[in-house]
Amino acid sequence: MGKAEAKSRAKLPYWRRILDASLPVDLSYIPIGLACGILLHASGFNVWTTLMVSIMVFSGGAQFLIASLLATNAPMLSVILMMFFLELRYALLGSSLSKYLHGESLGFTALFAASMNDENYALNYLKFSTDKKFTPHEALHVEHMTLVFWTISNIIGSLIGSAINIDLTIVHFALTALFLYMIVVQLKNGLIIVICILSGFLAAFFMVITKSTLGLVLSTLTASFIGFMVEATIRKFDTKSRWLKPMKNPAGSPEDTDEDTDD
Amino acid sequence: MEWNTTQHVWLILGCFCVAFAPRLIPLMFFRTRKIPNWFNEWMRYVPISLFTALVVKDLFISPEYTVTFVNRAPEMIAAVIVIGIAYWTRSMAISVVLGLLAVFLLAMVV
Repeated sequence: MGKAEAKSRAKLPYWRRILDASLPVDLSYIPIGLACGILLHASGFNVWTTLMVSIMVFSGGAQFLIASLLATNAPMLSVILMMFFLELRYALLGSSLSKYLHGESLGFTALFAASMNDENYALNYLKFSTDKKFTPHEALHVEHMTLVFWTISNIIGSLIGSAINIDLTIVHFALTALFLYMIVVQLKNGLIIVICILSGFLAAFFMVITKSTLGLVLSTLTASFIGFMVEATIRKFDTKSRWLKPMKNPAGSPEDTDEDTDD
Repeated sequence: MEWNTTQHVWLILGCFCVAFAPRLIPLMFFRTRKIPNWFNEWMRYVPISLFTALVVKDLFISPEYTVTFVNRAPEMIAAVIVIGIAYWTRSMAISVVLGLLAVFLLAMVV
């Protein structure tokens, strides 16, 4: 650790730095992408439609949903409608990244939006909030690097078809682990931990009553709004509250900067 | 009814539209406008809330959208392991790889 490593990092070619930044997602996309390709093949997609769906939709959850709905012969309109509710949460990802992408060109914004998903959003959000030098163009290339791994894995999955058998719940855990990691690194004070637990209960509650992933959107909106309101209230009355006191980080990451300073 | 390739292509185009619109609209809206401070402060809580919701969905919600704890022991134990690894190492790659390994081994035992 330290300066020597930082120096050797700066010398790495650009594509290597992007690959390094996106590697955790790239690697977990290989088994999940293969499984997804196999399922799409089983539900009647050929290699070309698999290629098309992995580039144009680029969302693991959505593609698994398409495969399972096609297997049950759901009508096209209802598949698209369910996709809409599933993808609605991306509006939140875009909103929370918007301050880092402010003032970019229309073309760039459209390109960035087209291949944004949960996983590369997780990577980019962490990068933007900890690394001041991280640019929107690097973020776009991180998206495209994950897209390449996803698409190739989908295609290979489609080609090997039904030849192998993958336990989907186990493979899917790679993404769960990724999100768990993202939660852990963001738990910086007592209030965030409370909001995290609250969000968990709200998510279960809203998903059970809406019977769809719309519950994800509702719980995220509610929990984040409560967090924002509580923080504003605490700051008003007790600026030195222990709920907002930063916690010690056992691994000690010097790159971590306080987000309050930049807005 | 078996779908043909043309229908698949239409389906993909439809899915692209409903997937692209929610991703694009907020980014377009805030591209040139000044983002209000309170909005940024609110959005700071979005990642943690969303990731928690996604984890809860993966661990405790069945495909029929009911809360379930049945047959989820390997994932739940592995989740605790991942939290520990993430807390101590702060490495995304190690957390994901060891988490996957843990759930794989636990699924064989439990």
